[in-house]
Amino acid sequence: MRGIEKSLPEFQAQGILPVAISVDAPEVSENLRRKRGYTFPFLSDPKAEVIRRYELLHPHGGPDGTDISRPAEFLVDRSGTVRWENFTEDIRVRPRSDELLSAARSIP
Amino acid sequence: MYPSSYELGGRMLNFASMPDITGRKHTFAPWLGLLLTVSGALSNGLPFIGFPAAPVPWMSLLLSLTGIVVVLIGLWRIFGRSAVYKGKISGSIAAAFSLLFLAGSITFFWGARHIPSESANAPQVGQRVPDFTLPDSTGHSVSLTQLFSGDAGSPPPKALLLIFYRGYW
Repeated sequence: MRGIEKSLPEFQAQGILPVAISVDAPEVSENLRRKRGYTFPFLSDPKAEVIRRYELLHPHGGPDGTDISRPAEFLVDRSGTVRWENFTEDIRVRPRSDELLSAARSIP
Repeated sequence: MYPSSYELGGRMLNFASMPDITGRKHTFAPWLGLLLTVSGALSNGLPFIGFPAAPVPWMSLLLSLTGIVVVLIGLWRIFGRSAVYKGKISGSIAAAFSLLFLAGSITFFWGARHIPSESANAPQVGQRVPDFTLPDSTGHSVSLTQLFSGDAGSPPPKALLLIFYRGYW
């Protein structure tokens, strides 16, 4: 997400709005945003309801066996259709900004 | 009388080349191995300084495993050829720490990949995603539709990049 923040002008130029979603409470996300200087929106799904609806639940993946989200990225166009997606196999490996930007270029 | 520089140099030379009473050599292999396993563990931090993340998990594992092989070579020298090599205690200490770092690296490698292997029912390319409303970090409810409408002043986005992440709890 540091990479995305760094490339935010390029994302904006392409009309892409990054939105981060996790089970973190709003205060936790706000802390993270302030600490790392993130300027795009962070949404909170503490009960993992949306995460569950998107079939992205990682059951007992969090501390004390709480349910969290698996890492995943979607490019969703204005009709709500998925244009590109990524499910990483290793939590250390996330897509780079240039991969995301080149995927975004194919969206009219 | 002060010793001449020649004498001083001679003494230092003598000291440096003073033979070990047992005549046995040190092997640096256990320490090199430990260094490699520590590097393996530390290499997990590379993506934070801008290194591409994709090869890092494998690199970390490879460094740690190479380290253990080097440690084993060292142990074989020390214990198998103890007439030539010394350092049983220091070698064992280095080996123990290497094992600890290797165990840590393997646990981390396994843990980092221990995520649901497939999200077969997750929205696929070409499918519509379900709409939702969630609070943002200031507590205000935001829906997918609202995100598409854009902020006041900025044009509405052509697409959203939804980033689901594990969270920092």
